[in-house]
Amino acid sequence: MKTEALVTNDAHQSNPIQEQDPHAQERLKDQLIMDLERDQIVAETNRPVPRASLGAYATAGLWALRVFVVLVSLMVIYTFIDQLH
Amino acid sequence: MASTDISASPGLALPPLTEEDTVRSWDRSRVHDARRHNKRWYLLWLLVGPGILAMLGENDGPSMIAYASDGAQYGLGFFVPFIGVLFAMAFVCQEMCMRVGAVTHRGYGELVLQRFGRLWGWFGAGDLTLTNLVTLVGEFVSIRVGLAYFHLGSGVAVALGLTLVVFTLSGGRYWRWERIVLGMALFNGLFLLAAILVKPHLGAVVSSFDFTPFPGGSFNTLLLLLASTIGATVTPWMIFFQQSASADKGMTPDDVKHGRYDTAIGAVLAAIFGIGALIAGAALLTHNGAGIQGFAGAGFPEALKHVSGPAAGTVFALGLIEAGAVAILTISASTAYAAGECVGVSHSFNSSPRDALVFYAANVGVALLAAAVILIPGAPLLSIALNANVLATVLLPVSLVFMVMLANDRGLMGSWVNRRSTNAIGITVIAFVGLCGAAYGIDSFLLTVHIIGS
Repeated sequence: MKTEALVTNDAHQSNPIQEQDPHAQERLKDQLIMDLERDQIVAETNRPVPRASLGAYATAGLWALRVFVVLVSLMVIYTFIDQLH
Repeated sequence: MASTDISASPGLALPPLTEEDTVRSWDRSRVHDARRHNKRWYLLWLLVGPGILAMLGENDGPSMIAYASDGAQYGLGFFVPFIGVLFAMAFVCQEMCMRVGAVTHRGYGELVLQRFGRLWGWFGAGDLTLTNLVTLVGEFVSIRVGLAYFHLGSGVAVALGLTLVVFTLSGGRYWRWERIVLGMALFNGLFLLAAILVKPHLGAVVSSFDFTPFPGGSFNTLLLLLASTIGATVTPWMIFFQQSASADKGMTPDDVKHGRYDTAIGAVLAAIFGIGALIAGAALLTHNGAGIQGFAGAGFPEALKHVSGPAAGTVFALGLIEAGAVAILTISASTAYAAGECVGVSHSFNSSPRDALVFYAANVGVALLAAAVILIPGAPLLSIALNANVLATVLLPVSLVFMVMLANDRGLMGSWVNRRSTNAIGITVIAFVGLCGAAYGIDSFLLTVHIIGS
């Protein structure tokens, strides 16, 4: 699961190790990156996951819950404002 | 999502790396090293964090005053075991968040937005922002109440809260932020110390575990107690926070077992400290405690001082300051995660402010906004803080439904989907929370518009 492959990239320009021996930097960087899983690398997590297809009942249920929650929230907020007076 | 094994696809080029990847890999290398050398306790030390922070963060100022107020008005019976049950419920919900974050490496907000559409994602973020803003006002009020015991005012409360937010953000690493806040959160134990200082009758504490006596009063009062106590234990921000923080920490499926330990430790500590606040408040029961209504209990430290001595009052006041301060940090962080995830930009403590501008701006911005509210002369701060928990309870079922859906999504979770027993408990929790919140909201509204009598 770990990314056990050599990595080359130019995204570490601000890293202090950049000022040392370039081969040592690469080895250190490779060693560090080995500890990440491929799908937790930022470029991978930036790729959106595919959209789930919700059935008609599930969609209706979610909308019913959303409307219900909004209505009850409005009731709570109304009661709160009324109690202030 | 199920992890991609790079060795299974040798021709696959690795994507470009960012500073965030490098910083996270440093933390991960220590985890792998501890696991390789079988350093069990060190591994646990490395992997605890999001669970404890979510649970102790929810033991915030309004929650602790709600527990103490329950104790002052009704004594220990019913509420001691009820708090225990609520944190068991919180464990079930938060374990799902941790597992989804560790398996998918993505936050709750972005998964809802990408998997179910922008509309649902933005609805969730809207709920979160509203409840977080209201709750943050309550946290500043809590700090102010604690500081008032030491004759300090609102200005100091605002300065303290905002300084902490800026200070903890300045580390540039998730690990550093987590450890600072974790260190502060352990001072939630001050409420346990306050409970010891009021010298409770141990027999009364033990006998309260039989859920009796059931709190008296009107039906609406009972619903308010249930809704506000639930809102003091499980809230939308915890869901956003723990999933996003687990992903930001770099947790993987290999770490789920330790993530469960982390969440369980947090739940147990939070329940103990919450019961500590209840016991401290119960010391006022026989001293006109029933006169302390909700957040009118702002005088709690003073009242405790008169009943149980200055040490108890001082410890309770310090506890309120700690509870408010930690919650400001965790709740602001959950808002920042949600903002970054919904806008689709960098959202990590491992990124620099320049690379994650929205994340850092939302973190500081929401705290600033709440701080500004408490400086408004005559603002109904105590009422806002009291209603924060109720509003969180009302809005919670939607977040929980999406959480259960994500945790059952085989396309995302692979073999890490919920077990049937977890689903059964999760659905029961949603139904219970939904019923309590809705019953209070509807009953209060009908009373207010005089459709029913009290």
